[in-house]
Amino acid sequence: MPRTPDVLLLPANPWFIGFTLVAAWLLNMLPLGQHGARPDLLAVVLVFWNVHQPRRVGVGWAFLFGLLMDVHEGALLGQHALAYTLLSYTAITVHRRLLWFGPAGQTLQVLPLFLLATAASALVRLALDGMWPGWWLLAAPVIETLLWAPVRAVLLAPQRRPPDPDATRPL
Amino acid sequence: MLPGTLDRSPPPFFRQGTSARTKLVLFSTLALGLMVADARWGVVAPLRTAVASVLLPVQRAALAPAEVWRGLARRFEALDAAQRTAAQARQALAAQALAQSQVAQLRLENDRLRELLALQASTVPRSHAAQVLYEAADPYARRVVIDRGTTQGIRPGSPVIVQAGVLGQVTRVHPLSAEVTLLTDRQAAIAVLNARTGARSAAFGGVDPGMELRYVTGEIDVQAGDLMTTSGLDGVFPPGLPVARVASVERRPRSGFARILLEPQARADGVRHVLVLDPAETTERSVPKTPGAGP
Repeated sequence: MPRTPDVLLLPANPWFIGFTLVAAWLLNMLPLGQHGARPDLLAVVLVFWNVHQPRRVGVGWAFLFGLLMDVHEGALLGQHALAYTLLSYTAITVHRRLLWFGPAGQTLQVLPLFLLATAASALVRLALDGMWPGWWLLAAPVIETLLWAPVRAVLLAPQRRPPDPDATRPL
Repeated sequence: MLPGTLDRSPPPFFRQGTSARTKLVLFSTLALGLMVADARWGVVAPLRTAVASVLLPVQRAALAPAEVWRGLARRFEALDAAQRTAAQARQALAAQALAQSQVAQLRLENDRLRELLALQASTVPRSHAAQVLYEAADPYARRVVIDRGTTQGIRPGSPVIVQAGVLGQVTRVHPLSAEVTLLTDRQAAIAVLNARTGARSAAFGGVDPGMELRYVTGEIDVQAGDLMTTSGLDGVFPPGLPVARVASVERRPRSGFARILLEPQARADGVRHVLVLDPAETTERSVPKTPGAGP
């Protein structure tokens, strides 16, 4: 059991999980123009739920959302899907260790995950199309890592409410 | 401890489902297969089209806030901008009045000369007005998505133009939307003609200010500021549309080639309305050829 302040959390609401994933996906699709350093909010939320609810949000969901992003961006079909699959697998692999750390420690530990995902899609494009979008690309995982702590605070907030004894009263 | 108030539950001993590693292998293989199928064989178009059709309403929903924001911004600027536009339009109209009369005369003259030379009449391609939905966020490419698709008769390969000149070419078509690859994309190329000298060459996208002229010798007559128009040699773009202006010319005596950078006339940022022309080849083909006209 983790020794962080998150020891006693309410169960996560499946509707809230779905809502946050869809909201992050919609935010990702906002027409903000094109920049290599644009952070992928959906990736951050996916990693969060992979770490906190690996039995609910697994590799399959990551793959599906990846396909949707691919079609939206008109990218190579499977590029985001591969990146999210790798991201989700590594997140599930480290999820037990990650929960032992506080926000700062977690932030340091998720950086390699986002770097791996960005590197995977960059390598794929380099191998198949010979395209390199520029070094701005490396800023994206760093921004995603910095977003980890705020996203974690927001997404954990509903589980940090005091339990309502009336909701589960036997009578 | 009240029941149902704690997030943690012991993991099940037996029914753990498929392991994450199996899923990783499965989905990575699937993703790699899709990518190869997309890049090399091009067989996943139906899948992409199906997903795109399902995605369109969601995309529209995601675009709504941007629309609202743009509408609000426009409301504040509207009067000022309208007056300015009207003044500009009046000036342009005055300037065009002269050109207009000349054009009419030139067209008449041109028609007569064409008849004289027994050339085929140049056809005006069919066009569809479209609106830009969003600029694709993919950092590897320069694309916009427009709100017209196969249902409205858009075909892949169609040239897309705006007021200032050529914007790009339709590369993927879905039932209700289409992807336009801009001239500044790495994979874009267009046959151009120097309007000053009449020299033909090919312009390629993917360099810093936008495009470059490739495969031209060092002693070619090109100056910064020259206008490049479509030459029509590629059989896709109708001839005479403005494409770009020469931004800089760097002659390299050692290699024998010149590095000529172009600045596209049509910028993608802030573009809202575009015109999609039917590809020149298909429009030509639809015109019945008169027998015996050619040599």
